[in-house]
Amino acid sequence: MDFLSNFWGNVVLGFSVAGTPFNLLLCFIGVFLGTLIGVLPGIGPMTGVALLIPITFGLKPNAAIILMAGIYYGAMYGGSTTSILVNTPGESSSVVTCLDGYQMAKKGRAGQALAAAAIGSFFAGTFATLMLMLFGPWVAGIALNFGPPEFFSLMVAGLTVVTSLAGRSLVKALFATLFGLAIATMGIDNQSGVPRFVFNNPELMDGLEFLVVAIGLFALCEVFVNMADMKGAVMERLTIKGSLWMSKEDWKRFFPSCIRGTLSGFFVGGIAGAGAAVASFVSYGLEKKASKYRDELGHGAIEGVTGPESANNAAAGGSLIHLLCLGIPGSGTTAIMLGALLMIGLQPGPLLFTQQPEFVWGLIASMYIGNVMLLVLNLPLVGMWVKLLDIPLYLLMLFIIMFSFLGVYTVNNSVQDLFLMVGFGVIGYLMKRLDIPAAPVILGIVLGKLMEEKMRQSLVISDGSLMIFINRPISLFLLLLAIVAISNPYWPQIGRGVRRMFGGAPAV
Amino acid sequence: MNKKYFTVVALILLLCIGFSTSGQTAAYPSRPLEIVAPANPGGGWDAMARTINRVLEIEKLYPQPMSVLNKPGGGGAVGMAYINMKKGDDNELVVFSPPLIINTINKTFSQSYTTLTPLAKLITDYQVFIVKADSPYKTFNDLMAAVKKNPGAVKFAGGSSPGSMDHLAFCKVAKLAGINAKDLSYVAFSGGGEALTTLLGGNVSFVSSGTGEVLSHIQAGTVRALAITSSVRSGGPLKDVPTLKEMGINTTYEVWRGVFGAPGMSKEAQAFWATTIKKMVGTKTWKESLEKLQWVDAYDDATGFAKFLKDEEKSYSELMTDLGFAK
Repeated sequence: MDFLSNFWGNVVLGFSVAGTPFNLLLCFIGVFLGTLIGVLPGIGPMTGVALLIPITFGLKPNAAIILMAGIYYGAMYGGSTTSILVNTPGESSSVVTCLDGYQMAKKGRAGQALAAAAIGSFFAGTFATLMLMLFGPWVAGIALNFGPPEFFSLMVAGLTVVTSLAGRSLVKALFATLFGLAIATMGIDNQSGVPRFVFNNPELMDGLEFLVVAIGLFALCEVFVNMADMKGAVMERLTIKGSLWMSKEDWKRFFPSCIRGTLSGFFVGGIAGAGAAVASFVSYGLEKKASKYRDELGHGAIEGVTGPESANNAAAGGSLIHLLCLGIPGSGTTAIMLGALLMIGLQPGPLLFTQQPEFVWGLIASMYIGNVMLLVLNLPLVGMWVKLLDIPLYLLMLFIIMFSFLGVYTVNNSVQDLFLMVGFGVIGYLMKRLDIPAAPVILGIVLGKLMEEKMRQSLVISDGSLMIFINRPISLFLLLLAIVAISNPYWPQIGRGVRRMFGGAPAV
Repeated sequence: MNKKYFTVVALILLLCIGFSTSGQTAAYPSRPLEIVAPANPGGGWDAMARTINRVLEIEKLYPQPMSVLNKPGGGGAVGMAYINMKKGDDNELVVFSPPLIINTINKTFSQSYTTLTPLAKLITDYQVFIVKADSPYKTFNDLMAAVKKNPGAVKFAGGSSPGSMDHLAFCKVAKLAGINAKDLSYVAFSGGGEALTTLLGGNVSFVSSGTGEVLSHIQAGTVRALAITSSVRSGGPLKDVPTLKEMGINTTYEVWRGVFGAPGMSKEAQAFWATTIKKMVGTKTWKESLEKLQWVDAYDDATGFAKFLKDEEKSYSELMTDLGFAK
């Protein structure tokens, strides 16, 4: 009872803080700017929050965090828009959304894809906030059980997603994954401090920027493919067919994938702390295994948009738990928010909930409000965004090129990145012609660096014994999960083999 | 007629602009200032650069526009290469800290720190060695005894690769205590936060970290700081943390931050910054910012800073040669 009355008191306190006209306005500005930032490729939430830091100095801590948090989850919303419309991921966490989102747009279902992404994001964001409110400190406690070995095993499990990205040939998908893993080894090795494949070029010391590869392989490649097909062919427009809004059938398929995406995203991002990009990949893999419509994935299935988009929002909300309850940033953006909070004179960490209830509960309440605002803001925008597709294809291609260059340049202020991006565009084109899928490359890059780092950290801790991955229950569970995920297509065959061996009647 | 008149006026105006800009070059500063943070937004270098920018702006100490440019990559290598390309440009500043020296010695940087024009040392932070609250090591001496007994068995973590600050800080202490620092078992993470999570999860014995990142956990009592590397005790939440010297280990480890001009900065610009930075560190805005960020004022002028850097290079050289990190 005591807990409940406390709880309600806190909720009321939170809404009284977040509900002041000024804070509501800031929340709106935050989510609005966030949406814009998310839509523009390259200008990610990290840059957005960093640019705003000087403005927050004059504000009270509450107002400042409400603004920053609004940008953070607003950008998570917006990131999917360009993925769906023009195959250009705005954020690392919306690369997977390209796979089915763009296919949906090609089929004239861009409206449904955008709506599914927005509504999925809304549910996931609200869920993550609810978890933060009810179980924040408790979740943070569980998160600490994720040491390097658990993290490594999670990455291994994540790698099995490749089978779901494979397309027609598993061999080609594995080839692409290895290419991605190879790219991930570039840069200064964190465990030894030794540069690998750096060629004395300081800009390569941190390895290849993820977005450089992703925009090259997806956006520019799309431009090249269209250019090649332009010759002599009649240019098709991506026209909208039928209604913009989701049909009854869409809704029926929406909910299961939204729930799966939210839960898996919250686990990967919020509990394990592995970030929104990994969460979106894992969710896609999960859809491929669990959805009734798994065969449609890759050809414009609504599950392929809903799942990953729900997952990346749940993960983003989850990493706020790490920031607020532990004072440990779970992503680049939350790291910047931590810096900004310190500037304001607040120390996030285990004491924040008890020492600054007004601050924490104000933020939580503002996240509910912000999520509703985002939904209201984004659904009418769907109609506007799909109009973009009415632009003749050759003009649209010019816009994609412009945004690609702009986006990649702003990541590191580096011209070299632009050359690399074009290079990857060409590689992407060749891969497309050879029917090698591009998504596994990205998967390899996302997981590769972390996987290697975590494995070697584990081995230092265990003095070189591989048993550390098996002795620890969570790690063992995740490894078993990986085995199940890889082997399940072969179960019928194995079953038949076993039965035959024991002389039973062969199954048909 | 009218058109001709217009052309003449336009030409005169253009000339005026031309003269006024060429006239201004005599008096530094005449152009916008760029402060390079050789890292992404969010880290210490970025915070330093932005704080300088903000204080100069609020206190109106620099009459031209200013901006911070983030040049992340290679632990500062990209920023270092960038500032070296700006040789002779008086409108470029860059902030750095010990990795400038470390990366000069291990040749991660293609250029030596001596190419830069030191302007001032500004602040300093210290390292703390922390254990989890329920750790069997109650004091720093307990910890050192265990490390001495079996250096490889006591795992310690930090937020940067071997041979960088978190690692070297403890190596320095171990070396003085007569332990072969090469036998230590260090787990490198890609950020102080990750190292801390690993400690809280019970996966390593202790963590070497800057004070700022772990302050909230020290206050909350989830971790215990066994020692701080300053020469005298800090105030506030760290007042109960003993210094190394108190425990008979005669050394300190300073995580300083300072500001530099591009290579070959003119005498005139150097003189301007000498007075301007001195004014800046005296302002209330600066002092308030330091307090908020828990940085300790360590101002020293260009001459003092240059000498300090030389001493740092000597001390790091010895340590890193011992450990095999010098190249």
